[in-house]
Parts: sequence; structure tokens; C-alpha cells
Amino acid sequence: MTAIRIAAPRRLALVAGAYFAYAVVLAPLLAILWVSFFENKIIGFPPSGYTLHWFANALAFDRFERGFVMSAQVGLAATAFSLLLGVPAALVLARREFFGREALHAVLMSPMVVPGIVGGAAIYMFFIEVEIATDVPFAGTMFGLILAHTLIALPWTVRLVTSTLVGMDRQLEEAAMSLGAPPLRTFWRITLPMIRPGIVAGAVFSFVVSFVDLEKSLFLVGPGRTTLPIEMVNYLEWNIDPTIAAVATMQTAVVALALLVSDRFFKLTRAF
Amino acid sequence: MVEQGVQGLAGSARLSDGHSRAPARPRLRGPGSESLALVVPGTIVVIVGLILPLALMARYSLNRWVPGELMQAAFTWENYARFFSDAFYVGVLWRTLGISLASTGVCLLLGLPAAYYLSRLRNHHLKTAIILALVIPLLMGNAVRAAGWMVLLADRGLFNSIMMFLGVYADPVRILYTGSAVAIGLVAVLLPFMIICLQSVFDGISEAYEEAALSLGARPLTMFRRVLLPMIMPGIFSGSALCFVLAMNAYATPVLIGGPSFQMMAPKIYEQAIKVFNWPFAASMAFVLMAVTLALTILASVALQRRYGKL
Repeated sequence: MTAIRIAAPRRLALVAGAYFAYAVVLAPLLAILWVSFFENKIIGFPPSGYTLHWFANALAFDRFERGFVMSAQVGLAATAFSLLLGVPAALVLARREFFGREALHAVLMSPMVVPGIVGGAAIYMFFIEVEIATDVPFAGTMFGLILAHTLIALPWTVRLVTSTLVGMDRQLEEAAMSLGAPPLRTFWRITLPMIRPGIVAGAVFSFVVSFVDLEKSLFLVGPGRTTLPIEMVNYLEWNIDPTIAAVATMQTAVVALALLVSDRFFKLTRAF
Repeated sequence: MVEQGVQGLAGSARLSDGHSRAPARPRLRGPGSESLALVVPGTIVVIVGLILPLALMARYSLNRWVPGELMQAAFTWENYARFFSDAFYVGVLWRTLGISLASTGVCLLLGLPAAYYLSRLRNHHLKTAIILALVIPLLMGNAVRAAGWMVLLADRGLFNSIMMFLGVYADPVRILYTGSAVAIGLVAVLLPFMIICLQSVFDGISEAYEEAALSLGARPLTMFRRVLLPMIMPGIFSGSALCFVLAMNAYATPVLIGGPSFQMMAPKIYEQAIKVFNWPFAASMAFVLMAVTLALTILASVALQRRYGKL
């Protein structure tokens, strides 16, 4: 294919426009990364020097440490539930044709479509009502938070595992079955290894969307039981300093690491 | 080609996958009892955990609020009436709409060249690097990105420092805690969605069309308007719809970058539900927000289909 000849100035304008857009996306992350190494406590440019002190300071903050632990626990639990519920559902949805399949799929994907703040408010009111009716507390408990985060994560698992399954050749499984392997063994030895990339991606995305979720969690956290993003917003409403930048940098590092690991198994761009 | 875009995020969920190269094989007929057992638990969790609460909230929006107690069972439209008769709340809705439309428009303007360039890029390493640079911020959480803009746009932030160093102005200009700052923050949050959405559509359009138009003497902008634009309309629609919906519901960006004086809908819903404890009003605001968002998205889809054919 021959390259399209577009006059140089136009081509330059296109490239400049494109890189300007990428810069707008990356600018806030780079700014946070830079500021987290600043020596001066009050952010000013240029910095008087660089230090790693704020990372130690951030780790010493109880609220951030508890927030991090809480977010990690909720994220891991939500990931586990989302895989347990989502992988079997994806298997059926991708491979069987039956009345109501589209409807079931739409229900499973719906948490992605309902805005976080609306869904969060609804779940919060529902939990309080259940609490009044049964005397069992839900809002502000770990269980309630994990349930809500499972909802956030489930559509990602279903979507990513389904997309691996749709692209998969079924002949290998048919061969295994026709050679006498029982269904469960076929699944374990043939199907599972083949859809592993989808499962890994589903797990990583489940964890990440749960770990950074703000809107739904806002309604469901309780006193002393707050996730990291909410601790960050609460802190940022009053002050912005290198300490919070260090916290944000560490959160970014966790998320970026999870994504880079998963990119080896599953092209990130396929998730969207 | 669109289904590999952000379609599922935007709403219409589809099972087909644009990436699969394997030939389509017929699915097995009938659900089978054992496979129902596989799909039902997840469905029940979503129905009980989300759809039932939403239905309950719809009912609550018709209840009457009595300060001091939770609410009184009633069947009244007074919460909706209160919203639309109170100039303050109507103003919040208009502001939310204005900011969302503006940031969606800017996303489209910035996203088109960015996506086109990305799609036609031949250097695969560079392409992967750019895509990662777009996807990773997408999953960083809005709190981190809002913090970044606070650093850049504050009175003593990077932007003002550079401007003062260059002598463009002597005193810092207030950018943070204004509408423009919120729009900038939202554009940065939403732009990756738009670029990825448009890029997947550009990827599906052969360069031969462009070459044909150009070799027949069309100028590049005419070629874009007459040849590419009609073909990428589905991507423009799904990308814009997604950005618009996310902007309408934004929470962290208006709270942190807009500050206490810049009010948008999502933070107001939170305030009514948690701080004022007026559930009926919070519920009706949530449904007003969803209804307005949905209505505008459908309107845009109808208008575009009339002009460009089926999306």
C-alpha cells in the first residue's frame, strides 16, 4: 500500500493535534508523579529539591494504610466472586443458543451501564431497608461493600471471558470428547487452558475497577472502614501536598503493574 | 467493526467479537438444565443487588419526605415538581448539561486527529506504547487524575508558574475551582474512551477509500468530510454518547476540581441521600439525571440516523 501524500503542513498539524491529545491524557499522571518527589511541602514550581521522604510519610499515615488494606481486601474478594459467577455464565452465554440469552446477557452487563452514583444510591437505600427489616446491618459493612464491588467487576469478567470463548475453536474439545474424555475433564484439560487469557484479563480488570471505584463505594463505606480512593478524595478536598501525590503514585504503581502483567496474557486494547 | 469499540460500555451489549478470526460455528441449541445452573447465580446477584434496588428507588422517588423520619409512603410527583420549580436545582442541571456537552465536543475535536493518527500508524511498537498510555490512565481512578489537575492548575501550580516565569502575566490567574478547570479535567478523563472508540472504527476503513478520493482531486478536508466522516459516524456516535453519559454522572472531577461553589448533579445526589437524608428527593434527582441523559442520547442517535443512515 502506498502512503497517502498529504501536504507537509497538514500532516504536521495532524501529528501535533494527535500528540496534544495524548499529552492532555497523560499530563495529570506525570504531574502527580513529579510532585511526589518534591522537597518543599507546599507545592511550588520549580521545586527546591527532590526527596523520597513523602513516600515514607504516606506509609506512616494510618488512614491511607487502612484504606489501602481495605481496598485490596475488597478488590480481591470481589475478583474471586466475579470469577466464580462470571466465568460459568460466560461459558453458557457464548456457546448456547436459547430463548432469553440476550436478556440474560443484558442483565449481567447492566452494572456497567447504570451510572455509579445512581447505582450506589439505590444499593445504599436497599441495604438500609434490609437492615431495618431484618436487623442485619449491610450498609457500612465489609459484606455490603464486597457485594457492590462484585457487581462492578462482574460485567468485565463476563465480557472478557466471552470474547475469548467466541474466538475459540471448538474442534479440540470435540476431539477430546470423541476420544472418551468426560465433560468435566475436557473442561479442565482443554477448555480452561484455552480461555486462560480471558480469565486472567477478567481477574485483573475486576480487581482494578474495584480498587479504583469511587462512586458506588461512597455510599457504602462506614466509619473507620474506608477505601483508598475515598480517603484520597477526602484528603484532597482540604489540601494538596506531596504526601497525597506519593499516595497517588503508589496507587498508580499498583494498578499499572497489574495491567502490565495482564498485557502479557491478553492485549489490553481488546478489553474495550 | 464497531462492536470492538466501547459499545458494551456505552450500552448495547453484544456477544459477537470483532477480533475473532475463527470462523463462526453454530451454537448449541437449548439451554440445558446444567448450563442454566451456571448462568443463573450471576444473574440473580445482579437482579437482587442492582435491579431490585433501582426499582425500589424509583418507588421512593414518589414518596413524601418528612424531616426527622425517613419518609412517608405516598404517591406524589412533588419531588420532581420541587426539582423543576427550584431555580437552584434547574441551574445545577443546566450546568451539568453544559459542561457535559462542552467536554464531549472537545473530546471529539481532540479525539478525531488522535484516533486517525493512531489508526494509520505503521510503527507497531509506537502504536502499542500510545495505546497503553491511553488505557492505563483510564484505569487509574478519577481521584488520582483530579489530583494531577489540581497540581497543574492551582494558583501556584505548574501552569501559572510557567506563565509568570515567561512574564505572560504578573499575578497567578484563577483556573482551579472554575468551570473551565472542570471541563479540562473531564476532557482528560474521557478522551481515552473517545480515542479508543474512534480508532477501532478507523481501523476498519481501508486507506484505499482515502487514496481514491485524494487521487481524484479531493482536498484532504473535503475527503474527510465527504468520505471518512459518513463511514465513522457510528464510532462518533458511540464515543460521544459514552463521553456524554460519563460526564453527566461525574463525581470526583466536579468535587475536587470544581470546588464547593461549582455544583453538578452527581455530588448533589450524594449530598441529598447521605447528608440531608432526603431519600425521595435524592431518588428523583437520580432519575431526572438518568432520564435527561438517556433522552439526549436517543435524540442525537435519531438526528444522526436521519442524516447519515443507520448507525
